[in-house]
Amino acid sequence: MAPFYKYGFFGDEMSLVLAFVLGTGFGFFLERAGFGSARKLAAQFYLYDMSVFKVMFTAIVTAMLGVTYLGWLGWLDLSLVYLVPTHLVPQIVGGLVLGVGFVVGGYCPGTSVASLATGRIDGFVYAFGIGAGTLVYAEVFPWIKGFVNSNGMGQVTLPEVFDLPWGLVVFVVVLIAVAGFSAATLVERRFGDKA
Amino acid sequence: MKLAALTLNQKLAIVAVALGTLALFSVPHRGPVVTLDTRELAQIVEKEVDHVTPSELAGWIVQGRSDYRLVDLRTESDYAAYHIPTAENVTVAALPEFPFQRTEKIVLYSDGGIHAAQAWMLMQAQGYRAVYTVLGGLEGWKDDVLYPALPAQASAAERARFERAAALSRFFGGEPRAEGGAAVPATMELPKLAAPVPSGAVSPVAPRKKKKEGC
Repeated sequence: MAPFYKYGFFGDEMSLVLAFVLGTGFGFFLERAGFGSARKLAAQFYLYDMSVFKVMFTAIVTAMLGVTYLGWLGWLDLSLVYLVPTHLVPQIVGGLVLGVGFVVGGYCPGTSVASLATGRIDGFVYAFGIGAGTLVYAEVFPWIKGFVNSNGMGQVTLPEVFDLPWGLVVFVVVLIAVAGFSAATLVERRFGDKA
Repeated sequence: MKLAALTLNQKLAIVAVALGTLALFSVPHRGPVVTLDTRELAQIVEKEVDHVTPSELAGWIVQGRSDYRLVDLRTESDYAAYHIPTAENVTVAALPEFPFQRTEKIVLYSDGGIHAAQAWMLMQAQGYRAVYTVLGGLEGWKDDVLYPALPAQASAAERARFERAAALSRFFGGEPRAEGGAAVPATMELPKLAAPVPSGAVSPVAPRKKKKEGC
């Protein structure tokens, strides 16, 4: 049955419309979580407000349980879901670059757009920076192409990498999330006063 | 401990752990038993989403894309005589036993379209869903990629398209057919396998190793 796009239930145009609807919904909930404000996001890195960690982990666990159960019910064919191919080292480097930008600018790409939508000037500047950065990346891409494509592991999932049953990985990630959540709450109590 | 005494977060955590525990027994990927949804298959065929055109495929090979496996279903001798660069040889008879991954995108081709279409159905019956066929098979590859023809009284757009196709054709060792020029060669010789093979593609003599192995 699903993924709908792969089964041709809708085409490219419709998928763009759906992307717009989903993206708007995503932005709405980012704003509702307070992520339209750079202060809230930067607080994550100073450990007095762990909202980013909590919201992201909640999203991961919800989506993971969702696809697991849909797959189990036979409504979703997980083998057809596109996964971004893993390139371990280049992606770690990319993650660090994004992280530095996150701390310095106070936003990640998605939240900067949410912030821009509510009229914040810093959000506008950040979104402009994304555009400029993308342009620079595209221009230097020929020189760094070899590195970007190195370490290719293909479309892999954790159960494949660790050779564990799918259900076990789901269970362990849920436990890690719950433990992380509790730990985050403790961290907030410890550092919260410095806000 | 009364339920009401718990915060919303704690209740949600309990729900998550319960669902996670139950998920221990889940089988999210389809098992060996496959139910074919005939309406679904009919949809795929109707919408032609299971095709890759020869030009698309040629583009992928030139770009060196490795997110798919190209499978030549013809006999070993046919394969040895000529095959599309980067293709690996798996005959229809060997297909059911061949260790493909479910998550792999598999592109099949045979001489015409029939064997590939039948093999496509075989793969569906085994639960492989990301299976595609090359439109027109090897014949389509010859017509569109190796020996593209410039239509008589071509418009500027057609001419430009032909120029692109001609470049692609030379890349694969083919010979574009310009208007009035050499009529279709009687036997339409296939390029010798020593002909240029895109860098990155393994020499056709040795069977192609899967690129993304080892994880």
